[in-house]
Amino acid sequence: MRNRDISFWLFLAPVLLGLSLVILIPFLYGFVYSFTNWNGLTATEFLGFKNYITLFKDAEFRASIWFTTKFAIVSVVLLNFIGLGLALLVTRKMRSSNLMRTIFFMPNLIGGLILGFIWQFIFINVFGSLGDLLGIEALTGWLSTTATGFWGLVILTSWQMAGYIMIIYIAYLESIPKDLIEAAKIDGANSFQRFRNITFPLVAPAFTVSMFLTLSNSFQIYDQNLSLTNGGPYNSTQMVAMNIVKTAFTENKMAYAQSQAVIFFIIVALVAITQVYYNKKREVDL
Amino acid sequence: MKSKKSFFRIVLIMLVAVLALVGCSSSNDSDQEKSSVDQVTIDIMQFKVEIKDQFEDLVKVYEEENPGVKINVKTIGGGNDYGSTLKAAISAGDEPAIFNVGGPSDVEEYREFLADLADTDAVEAALDGTLTAVQEDDKILGLPVNQEGYGLIYNKNVFEEAGINAEDIVSFEDLQTAVETLDKQKDELGLDAVFALPAKELWVLGDHISNMFIAPEFNNDIQEAYHAETIAFEKGDELKRYLDLQNKYSVQPILSLDYSQQVEQLFSLEKVAMIQQGNWVYNSVYDMDPEFAENGIGILPVPVEGFEGHVPAGVPMFWAVNGKKDDEIVQASKDFLDWLYTSETGKNAVLEDFKFIPAYKDYDVEKISDPLSKQIYEFAEAGKTFEGWVYQGTPTGWNQETLGVNIQKYLSGDMEWDEVISKSIEKWETERQ
Repeated sequence: MRNRDISFWLFLAPVLLGLSLVILIPFLYGFVYSFTNWNGLTATEFLGFKNYITLFKDAEFRASIWFTTKFAIVSVVLLNFIGLGLALLVTRKMRSSNLMRTIFFMPNLIGGLILGFIWQFIFINVFGSLGDLLGIEALTGWLSTTATGFWGLVILTSWQMAGYIMIIYIAYLESIPKDLIEAAKIDGANSFQRFRNITFPLVAPAFTVSMFLTLSNSFQIYDQNLSLTNGGPYNSTQMVAMNIVKTAFTENKMAYAQSQAVIFFIIVALVAITQVYYNKKREVDL
Repeated sequence: MKSKKSFFRIVLIMLVAVLALVGCSSSNDSDQEKSSVDQVTIDIMQFKVEIKDQFEDLVKVYEEENPGVKINVKTIGGGNDYGSTLKAAISAGDEPAIFNVGGPSDVEEYREFLADLADTDAVEAALDGTLTAVQEDDKILGLPVNQEGYGLIYNKNVFEEAGINAEDIVSFEDLQTAVETLDKQKDELGLDAVFALPAKELWVLGDHISNMFIAPEFNNDIQEAYHAETIAFEKGDELKRYLDLQNKYSVQPILSLDYSQQVEQLFSLEKVAMIQQGNWVYNSVYDMDPEFAENGIGILPVPVEGFEGHVPAGVPMFWAVNGKKDDEIVQASKDFLDWLYTSETGKNAVLEDFKFIPAYKDYDVEKISDPLSKQIYEFAEAGKTFEGWVYQGTPTGWNQETLGVNIQKYLSGDMEWDEVISKSIEKWETERQ
């Protein structure tokens, strides 16, 4: 970074330009609009913090934040657990491991909307008919209660993203020096001890990366939410992103939705920064 | 020093980049202007995805008849997509000459863009009551796109086998008796249940079902609802009774039952005897089973006390002309809309290609091809419709996000009916303060 000559900036210029046009400027505009009565076309009045005050009294918005948080906690744990598990599975010397990597990664290639519809079919029709056939009450009526809607979303996201997280873990697992493991083996460490004392600390950077990814992703989920449950029943499985879109476009309160988005941004940023800070502390260097 | 220099460089480079971009776009503009020197260009942004191709074909016919006019059609999927795309286009200064508005709240929002259409032939031809939603003093700010109507769509064969005559169902008690008769024989008739109530769809609960029981207290007038400070739910008990009936005899679980399951899987495959939907289901049923669609279905009015035998029919969307455009564009847009609804070619297309229920006089009813639309037009002719869909005049989002959601809570057993009513009234009042 020391020799910042003209060519350095020349190469950077398109990105800087794009970034400011597409992200920075709209973001600032949105921030300003959140203090007005903007309706998408014009803003006639400056309201100060009125939108933000309404927001803290808004039970539905709070409910959606709480729902999203619960969802994020469960899916971060599950995704990392499954992701690491799959990675450990496919890094063992097996003939089928390449094929399995492909298969596990595949769901990630399908768009969230389509996945939502596919799983909706599975939860409602497949589960429903299985439940009727086997006489298991619990399998019928999925997605028609809050609890099943929640787990439906968790299953869908885990199924979609676990393969992606697996790839990250594979990269780190494969970079662990073989001689370290071998030395431990000679010292008589069993496979659990080897995992606990060598593999686990050395993949810590992978935890930082994938926990950040899963955390920010689970907070921002929209398309899966839309196609799987559409917030139903009675908006109880509505996540924050969806709540904001509904406020903006169904209820036509653009400025209010902006203020929701600002608060949401602050929450996600705080959570993500804290997580990265603590994860970084745990990392060890070789 | 050094950092100052590099900052200056960033600014310089960004400036160059911006200039390059601007340069590109302005040269394009001048090209376009050259090719359209003495032509009027009308940009249309419309929401009816179902008629996209047919509409574009019709536009070509118009362009051939009127060489001076060039029309660009942009079709954007219904509902939220359309609203947000239109809003984005307008706030970006790329406003279409003709677009769609839904009702009083849209009119309010886009008022400065709406030209007065009172002098058009189409306004003259519009059926009584179809213009209320866009009328302000003596100004008419929109033209109805079409009419739609809904009620209980029933399976004629099943009714016949069960020995029920649809025309005898007039009062709520009649409906109840018919439903019980059907329910007793559902195994012989091969039915899963009598109804399919898609309680997942907020628009079915909040817009359509509720509308019938809310409209009478506003005298079926959208404008009256739009200016109402509060709502009394005079027919709240009737609404509850009707919901309970559908819920009790519906395929379960209703809360995950959606529109496509209702219409395609359950009704078209003859697993249920009745669904509450409108004439728009015809094409879906036709795709599943043409024979059934043409001969096997009929529509009967939902019994609402005092309005027995009336079908709720209304105008879902209106054409608006952008008054901020040049006068000649505004005039050309009006001419096109007039042609669309009053010329022979236009009328034919509206009936036969778009398969609309026209909202205008002097149409040949015999040409309406599907039985549901025909029945609804007949109801309209006989004056047996609830004119106006009052839900377009309620506070924005109230119908679905408040009333619809509360009804869902009631149906799932998480809310008492009294609370549904009181919470919905409360929200209405806060929105109208």
